Amino acid sequence: MSEVVWSALVSVGVISAVGAFLALLLVIAERFIANYGEVSIDVNSGDKEFTVKGGGSLLETLASAKIFIPSACGGRGTCAYCKVKVSEGAGPFLPTEEPYIDSQAREQGIRLACQVKVRQDIKIEIPAELLAVKEFRCICERIRDLTYDIKELRLKLPGPMKYVPGQYVQFRAPAYKGSPEVYRAYSISSDPADSGAIELVVRLVPGGICTTYIFEHLAEGDEVLINGPHGEFRLTDTQAPMIFIAGGSGIAPIKCMMHHLVNQGIKRKGVFFFGVRSLKDLFMAEEMKSLERAIPDFRFVPAVSELEQGESWDGAQGRITDVVKRYLDNEKDAASYEAYLCGSPGMIDASISVLTGAGISEDRIFYDKFS
Amino acid sequence: MKKPPQLEYLEQTLRSSRLSARGFLGTDQRSLWEILDADASEVEKLGYTMTGIATRMHEITDRANEGLGDWVEIGKNIKACTTDVRGVIACPWPHAFRANKTVTTVLKIDSGDEIKWADLNIHLIEEHGFFQGKGSVFRLEPSELVKIIF
Repeated sequence: MSEVVWSALVSVGVISAVGAFLALLLVIAERFIANYGEVSIDVNSGDKEFTVKGGGSLLETLASAKIFIPSACGGRGTCAYCKVKVSEGAGPFLPTEEPYIDSQAREQGIRLACQVKVRQDIKIEIPAELLAVKEFRCICERIRDLTYDIKELRLKLPGPMKYVPGQYVQFRAPAYKGSPEVYRAYSISSDPADSGAIELVVRLVPGGICTTYIFEHLAEGDEVLINGPHGEFRLTDTQAPMIFIAGGSGIAPIKCMMHHLVNQGIKRKGVFFFGVRSLKDLFMAEEMKSLERAIPDFRFVPAVSELEQGESWDGAQGRITDVVKRYLDNEKDAASYEAYLCGSPGMIDASISVLTGAGISEDRIFYDKFS
Repeated sequence: MKKPPQLEYLEQTLRSSRLSARGFLGTDQRSLWEILDADASEVEKLGYTMTGIATRMHEITDRANEGLGDWVEIGKNIKACTTDVRGVIACPWPHAFRANKTVTTVLKIDSGDEIKWADLNIHLIEEHGFFQGKGSVFRLEPSELVKIIF
């Protein structure tokens, strides 16, 4: 080998070694030297102030201080649920945030909490209800099959949870089989008077990380982490007659509201339309009938849209929106109703169209949309 | 040939369960390139385009959505319905696309053949020519798909 080639090889080797050393130094520096020190977080202009060690994402930093911002993607910046207003100290806006935050929101200081790094003192504004959200380490007391693809979970709480009927919790599916830890939202379906536990209704999502965990891995007796309560879906305190519409697992918050009507002795007139495709999709009918009997002026109307061969059904038949329309067409004062809806975006949009067509104004229609 | 780091990362994401339980590649041992290549060739051999297939899938899903969960007849020989659950799923490619978790079930009436797809499938075919790997929850075989939807 000529001296020139040998010398070139040595040079390449030295340069590579120096490069590798500098890279290693950077890794060590990030791990041990990069120190953002103590950083203060101010939530809602002094409602809550605390000091943390800087360096983490705003989402995880807030969670470590027991402030739980809804998030479904495990902080990967893909669900965009964790929007918060950062009035000071957010750092530069990141390309990963651009798709989810328009220019107007950006001007208002809206950021994705999972993408903002806590490197200096930060001031944020969040809905006041989020400060009441707590984490609960529960025991999965019972798993009950409701249909072929819907289960009910009963989670024993370590202490009471104060929630409003209609609200939801975030359920943590831990990392398993290569899937990351994720949080998913499920409405509380249980009786609020049952302070020792909550119940959730979960429909299997093919390929879904959280529901696959619940259907294939979760067992009775397992520990489960949830946080809550979250959400704005709730009954008003007027005396207006109520119409409830739900499909599938959308029954959950409505069932909780019905328990509340019973517990509080509320005598508002009400009707609950629960739409399913076939009889095999119908569940909780007996429990709902029993609640119906406990509320003075209330009707539970399960509606089946497509009977399968050999099935017979003497209840309401047809698409849920058609059944609702038939009912409202026969009501003298349909416009006086308030409506509460939970289900798919398509079902909710179609129901809103029927309700407004019957004279119910949009400000009297409340919904929890699966999106 | 060495893969560019972005492709390597994308393939890792697709093979992992980061976004979908059991991943987007299922049990398929072929590389992402091989899967994309094979499916693109098959689509061409069948006489269709990715855009044409995705457009037809959009049409069917949009019509099925009107059924609010009930079967809807589409033409003389197809019935379809949708099922919705709460939440959205992000496209694994590095851009900001999210799809509702709506599943469309399509039945070819004369043959009884049935196929299911999620909203994300349509985007993956339309934008990335990706039918997912064999053994994944929502793998669509191009030949079966076109036989049912056209």
